[in-house]
Amino acid sequence: MSEITEPIIRVNDLRVNIKMDEGTLTPVRGVSFEIRPGETLGLVGESGCGKSLTSKAILGINEKKCQSSGEIFFQGEDGKTIDLLKLNPRGKEIRAIRGKQISMIFQEPMVAFSPMYTIGNQINECTMLHITKDKKESKAITLEMMKKVGIANAEKRYDQYPHEFSGGMLQRALIAMALVCKPRLLIADEPTTALDVTIQAQILELMQQLQKEMQMAILFITHDLGTVAKMCDRVAVMYLGRIVETGTAREIYKAPQHPYTRGLMGSVHKIGSRKLDRLYSIEGTVPLALNLKPGCGFYERCDARVEGVCDQAEPDLIQLEGTHCAACVHCRKEGKAE
Amino acid sequence: MTMSEADKKALRAQKRAEKARRKEEKYYLASQWQLMARKLGKHQLARISLVILGFLYFVALFGNFLAPYSLTEYDANSKDLPPTPVHFSHDGKFIGPFVYHAERQTVKMSVAEKSAAQKAAKERGEKYTPPTLIATDDTEPIPIKWFVHGSSYKFLGLIESDLHLFGVEKGKVFLFGADSMGRDLFSRIILGSQVSLTIPFAGTLISFVLGLVIGSISGYFGGWVDNVIQRVIEVLNSLPSLPLWMALSAAIPAGIPPVQMYLLITIILSLISWTGLARVVRGKFMSLKNEDYVMAAKLAGVSDMKIIMKHMVPGFMSYLIVNLTLGIPSMIIGETSMSFLGLGIQSPATSWGVLLKEAQDVTSIALHPWCLIPLFFVVLTVLAFNFLGDGMRDAADPYK
Amino acid sequence: MGNYILKRVLTFLPILLIMSLVIFFIIQLPPGDYLTSYVAGLKAEGQIVDESELASLKERYGLDQPWFMQYFKWMGNILTRFDFGYSFKYEAPVWSTIASVLPMTIVVSLVTMLFNYLVGIPIGIYSAVHQYSIGDYCFTLLGFIGMAVPNFLFAILLMYGTYIWTGTAFIGLYTSEVLVGLQQGTMQWWEVLGRGDFWGRMAIPIIVIGTSGTCGTLRSMRAQMLDELGRNYVLCARAKGVSEKRIVYKYCLRAALNPTVSGLSGVLSHIFNGSTISAIVMNLQLVGPMLYEALKAQDMYLAGTILLVMGFLIIIGTLLSDILLAWLDPRIRFSGRRAE
Repeated sequence: MSEITEPIIRVNDLRVNIKMDEGTLTPVRGVSFEIRPGETLGLVGESGCGKSLTSKAILGINEKKCQSSGEIFFQGEDGKTIDLLKLNPRGKEIRAIRGKQISMIFQEPMVAFSPMYTIGNQINECTMLHITKDKKESKAITLEMMKKVGIANAEKRYDQYPHEFSGGMLQRALIAMALVCKPRLLIADEPTTALDVTIQAQILELMQQLQKEMQMAILFITHDLGTVAKMCDRVAVMYLGRIVETGTAREIYKAPQHPYTRGLMGSVHKIGSRKLDRLYSIEGTVPLALNLKPGCGFYERCDARVEGVCDQAEPDLIQLEGTHCAACVHCRKEGKAE
Repeated sequence: MTMSEADKKALRAQKRAEKARRKEEKYYLASQWQLMARKLGKHQLARISLVILGFLYFVALFGNFLAPYSLTEYDANSKDLPPTPVHFSHDGKFIGPFVYHAERQTVKMSVAEKSAAQKAAKERGEKYTPPTLIATDDTEPIPIKWFVHGSSYKFLGLIESDLHLFGVEKGKVFLFGADSMGRDLFSRIILGSQVSLTIPFAGTLISFVLGLVIGSISGYFGGWVDNVIQRVIEVLNSLPSLPLWMALSAAIPAGIPPVQMYLLITIILSLISWTGLARVVRGKFMSLKNEDYVMAAKLAGVSDMKIIMKHMVPGFMSYLIVNLTLGIPSMIIGETSMSFLGLGIQSPATSWGVLLKEAQDVTSIALHPWCLIPLFFVVLTVLAFNFLGDGMRDAADPYK
Repeated sequence: MGNYILKRVLTFLPILLIMSLVIFFIIQLPPGDYLTSYVAGLKAEGQIVDESELASLKERYGLDQPWFMQYFKWMGNILTRFDFGYSFKYEAPVWSTIASVLPMTIVVSLVTMLFNYLVGIPIGIYSAVHQYSIGDYCFTLLGFIGMAVPNFLFAILLMYGTYIWTGTAFIGLYTSEVLVGLQQGTMQWWEVLGRGDFWGRMAIPIIVIGTSGTCGTLRSMRAQMLDELGRNYVLCARAKGVSEKRIVYKYCLRAALNPTVSGLSGVLSHIFNGSTISAIVMNLQLVGPMLYEALKAQDMYLAGTILLVMGFLIIIGTLLSDILLAWLDPRIRFSGRRAE
């Protein structure tokens, strides 16, 4: 196996538990995936399905009451592979990885910056921590990155406060902050949901361009399938803390197998579709991952459920064609029949 | 008519399901207040505080009956008597609760001894007080009786009565000791609570009305009216409350009847504490004025008054009540402090602050530490109100 | 920033004027005046009062005029000649009367304020960072109790404690030697500050006066800090690889200080409340007991001036906290600038 194809990150059976008075909540229930250099994996799902918790678990920045278990193998710059979950979440080793090798873009740029310090100060903190102790050099790197993400007049912007920035500009600054140390893995948690459409497109293009330059891997988290089609090589669809379908973007868009994925696809408004077509919507909401019943998590909302089968045991991921996998009894039947 | 076991079971299950559904429905249909009450019930400290406060107010309400003596009863032979010990067995026999008679007696001295003591006191620059000792007569047990007749009072201010919960027929029983005039501290604490516990309530009520009215005037009219009111509030906020209270209560003429004095003190306390509330009300008015639902009501042709009373005030009522509860402790402390300084409630009326006047200097505490007992009740009440207010604040927060 | 400060100062001037009016109105509320209570005292002693002398005294002090006339005269003298009137009780000008206690009151208040912040802020931070730990529970409980015990009772308890442990009662701020020196004018108040025994004696009053305010600071600091620690920018900083310590001290603390700083004038008025009553109970040579005596004797100019000075100091405190806030929080700074 050549070095290039070896994954940067391999997540294996990741679980996140939250202890509460009412019982243990398990918002992430055995998630596995891997990402290679230069590749973009889209993690798709509704709000509350555990996408954000998964991404924060990789960085070890979930709240104290969230306990992660499983394995997260990360290949560092030095070529060594370490299990991130084994590191002390407050310790030095993981802090050296955060921001430097793995960095994250948050969904709401307006609240991701502290209002008390200038934008320059907050981006600069990254380079000061991870790259150089020299103030001048650090500022130069910061300014360069700010220019690269398209912040005009960077020298002046450097000394401005977050409240003087517009939403789109703040998002650019946030991207600059995430990329300033040239990370190997970028986690983008719905980076464009808070922005309007034209700026969205600009930001996505910017990310793609920077990815090409730096050869980073991207974990792209979103609930917007349109963005996924534009950005991602591979897609993993998450529902109720589990990956229910995964494959290349082409595979999934061409022939979605899981009823949930099909539902998601149906909810997207397509240009050119007939006016009278009603937009499809999935009934209900993601249930709370507390005291779950046995059986498929999507059972209650599924329009293709089979009583006596789907409510008995949760189906595992079944390989279909190529890399395409789905976790649904209907896939199993087809597999058996063929 | 017979029913099979299975049918009955199914019926029961159905009933259970129905009950559960109703419960759930009740939760979703519960009003804001019911939800608050439920959340408050979950708050351990707030619940305990509520029980304690309930007990204290209950005692205050039936104070005249629960206290063995009235405010004016005193016993010249019982000055500064320590708490009377309650015994249960006499000569090795159990005979129920009883006390021994005790009194303070002057130490018998010869003329020479007395003059020597007087001289010594004069040299130290002190006033001569004849030494005393406490004589206890432990030969004759005096049983504590339930429902005894004593001084008469008006029960709940209506019914003439002379019945007291407990008492002794001969001598006196001082559960918490006696003060320098030979009055029962236990009775005085109970009767004092009638003042100490109601003044903050009455004061809060007045400042509630003042705050609501002035705040809404300020918020509703805006302009120069608002400006003037805001400046006055700022001035009142810039003055330390206690010196201001002192200055105001110095204006109370001496020798007015207790009821008037009570009212005046209450008004003085509330004159300063309405400002915080008025600010809150004004702020809420200003922000609510632009809320969509107020606009919608206006467009629907609802009158201004109705909008205020039906749509705006309920929107911040819970917030106001929490604020008020949190303001009570400072009123209790204010009343206690002023009475303690002799600027508040004055005898013959009494309050916990008045009782604490006895604890003004170190030597008297060292000699009669039981005069600090009222302190316990002040701290207990203030703590309970603090915890209750805290719990209410959490309960009123819809995001928690 | 300069403009911002100037604007703030200008808005405080009318408040000061209204305040003086309110104070004077309250001070003259008691029926009668110093002379009537003085005359009543003389008559009780059986002395004969010369009516014509009384009338001339009344005229001299303007006591026969309506209260607002008296107010204008008083205010006029303050503004033009820095003359705060005459203290009947001490038979001296008001300013020289309070000059003997005012500096020490300010010193005690400042030191108490320092105590308030130096104790309240760090414990508040500790409590928030270690939420639900044993330490947090203990401090929270202590904070509640500290807020519940009235100052004067705390004073009595502490005095009682020292009496039990050391056998001597606590008596005032100064030793008798210093007291005599101060009274005879051989010693100035600032010389007292250099003495070790003075600071030793100061400990109890400061704890007594400062505890309730400190507990308030502690609680608001803890709540605010918890609020800030839950914000998104903390997560973002953590994702950057910033250490927990730096997150707490660089990011959260600065934001969390906001309400504490804006509560500065509240703390100051809290201190004046506490110092007034504690000074009366503990017999401290501060303005508190003087105010108390002045109120009882209807020595209106003295009482009025003391209240005015307290209010003035609190307004200065508000001004300082506004400036501090603008320095701490760029948003306030900018909105202030934009408003012009």
